[in-house]
Amino acid sequence: MSGLIPFHDLVEALEAAPAERLFVTAWIDEDEQETLTFGEFRERARTQAGLLLQHGVGAGDRVVILMPQGVAAMAAFAGAMMLGAVPAFLAYPNFKVDTEKYRSGLAGVTANLKARAVVIDEEFPEEMLGHVSLGGETKLLRAADGGSKATKMLDARVQSEDVAFIQHSAGTTGLQKGVALSHAAVLRQLEHLSQALHLDPTTDRIYSWLPLYHDMGLIGCFILPMVCHVPVVMQSPVDWVMHPETMLQIISEHKCTLAWLPNFVFQFVPRRVPADRRREYDLSSLRALINCSEPVRTSSMVEFQKAFGVKSAVLQSCYAMAENVFAVTQSGLTQPPGQIWADGHHFRSAHRIVKVAEGTPGAVSFTSSGRLLPGHELRIEPDADAVAGDGAVGEILIQSDCLFDGYYNRPDLTAQTMVAGWYRTGDLGFCVDGELYVAGRKKDLLIIGGENVYPQDIEELVAAYPAVHDGRVIAMGVYNNDLGTEEIVVVAEVENEALLAHAAEVEQEIRSRIVGGLGVAVRTIVLKPPKWIVKSTAGKPARSATREKLMKEYPELNREEEVRSQ
Amino acid sequence: MTAQAQQMIEHIRQLIRKPNVMIDEDTPLVSSGLIDSMALVDVLLKLEDLTHMRIPAGKVQPKDLDSVAKMFATAQRVGKPRK
Repeated sequence: MSGLIPFHDLVEALEAAPAERLFVTAWIDEDEQETLTFGEFRERARTQAGLLLQHGVGAGDRVVILMPQGVAAMAAFAGAMMLGAVPAFLAYPNFKVDTEKYRSGLAGVTANLKARAVVIDEEFPEEMLGHVSLGGETKLLRAADGGSKATKMLDARVQSEDVAFIQHSAGTTGLQKGVALSHAAVLRQLEHLSQALHLDPTTDRIYSWLPLYHDMGLIGCFILPMVCHVPVVMQSPVDWVMHPETMLQIISEHKCTLAWLPNFVFQFVPRRVPADRRREYDLSSLRALINCSEPVRTSSMVEFQKAFGVKSAVLQSCYAMAENVFAVTQSGLTQPPGQIWADGHHFRSAHRIVKVAEGTPGAVSFTSSGRLLPGHELRIEPDADAVAGDGAVGEILIQSDCLFDGYYNRPDLTAQTMVAGWYRTGDLGFCVDGELYVAGRKKDLLIIGGENVYPQDIEELVAAYPAVHDGRVIAMGVYNNDLGTEEIVVVAEVENEALLAHAAEVEQEIRSRIVGGLGVAVRTIVLKPPKWIVKSTAGKPARSATREKLMKEYPELNREEEVRSQ
Repeated sequence: MTAQAQQMIEHIRQLIRKPNVMIDEDTPLVSSGLIDSMALVDVLLKLEDLTHMRIPAGKVQPKDLDSVAKMFATAQRVGKPRK
């Protein structure tokens, strides 16, 4: 493909795909797989569109899709777009999450979207169904297996500037931020990205275990292949995480060429696949494994390369976010991404990159996320007292021809992040020789295995527990070298010191509340007597000062420097 | 309790690095937050080892591993003899 995408909207792109070409293979295990051609997928999508049409869904209506990862969920999404409706995937309820919490999250998001319909699958848990709280205008629909197809649905052709779909991230905070993206913005992104990747629909094949409600899974592994007519082989995130070796099996059997993966995968997979089995897999078909959605760690990439012997140019990187549809930068595919070593003292105290030789004592290393895609601009905004210019570390601001217009129905949240046409990413980084290096985060956000988790959501759940002094809790992400990703650390003040004698029970209750509320597990809980957490001048718990105090008292928690210096 | 179940409990204690935590065959492990999703593979590999079975991907969900008793029941239900 030349990279030129001649389509007016995403549905037109799907309609133009060769009917006989393979589109999606849903890989369950070696005995169970479902493969659809583009022609078959279109039929499935039309059936879903027919169901929505019967229930009065039309152009511009929001449709929430709550279905397990798979072909049916993708068909419902595409079917909604065929009607000019605006679909949004939300995370499927997992058994760990408390029903009440799930219900309130869903009620909030359907109310904010003013959704016309929520589409669920046949297997949607009964106990959850009783608690799906919807506004009066929202209908609950079971995805159609058969039924009539919508034949006259595209009479009112969508405008390319119309919203195509909405992306969310997880948790109470993430669900308030529906990123609304137009057909035109998505197509421009795919135009840039397909060129940067030298995408060839006749030879490329994408592998994915990424969730469809996440930008990497939605854009990289569903919308990009749908628009560029590239086959994709996917499995569910849960199946993959419980059997990480299956990733190698699928790539090997299906001769996949491209995949996007969060950083932790580059060491999680080698550590979970016994050395004597590694050579069973042929990964020579791979053109690029793109490290994306967590800060890129050189050590993780090296570990993967050593374990599986892939060419170093296969390991690539990218900086992406839903607000920009997906990618902002992409490393060049012919050589490994740039890597630099910088003086640790200058980096920490002056927020400046001063290059030093590899392995210099006290040096820190960074791996590049590549160069800006065409149509993109970037600005590094250093701290007030820092010097601007090449090598200055500061907040990354971006502008592009595929940037979102705002968070759906939330002009207040949009105003907090958009400044005169620039999007404040909340990430910290620097540029050297035209390449972007992401160095950390300014915003309070945890990225656990590639998924965004907002500390406020964790703190709210813990603060509601009577044994914890109300509001006196801080949640933070601390990098764990064994996992290659952040883990959640929670520090909480108990209501009175006597409770510290029952620390095990208090800890377990905190753990249960967090997993019940958000579905994520906490690795470390630190209980402290009252008045231990550092307060801000406004009297609120101060996250960064408390983190500093905690790391001083528990240096074993902080292995960042050790990792960076490897 | 079988010797296999005891070995699994010991493995889980080491995995979560909490040697003193009370775990019996019915203690909820995933739904209580004691085991996170990234540790499930270690549980499955141990389960395959202890039962001499292979547990195929796609036939097991986290809820099937929520307690030691459920793990062994799951292995009985979906496990295949090792090749």
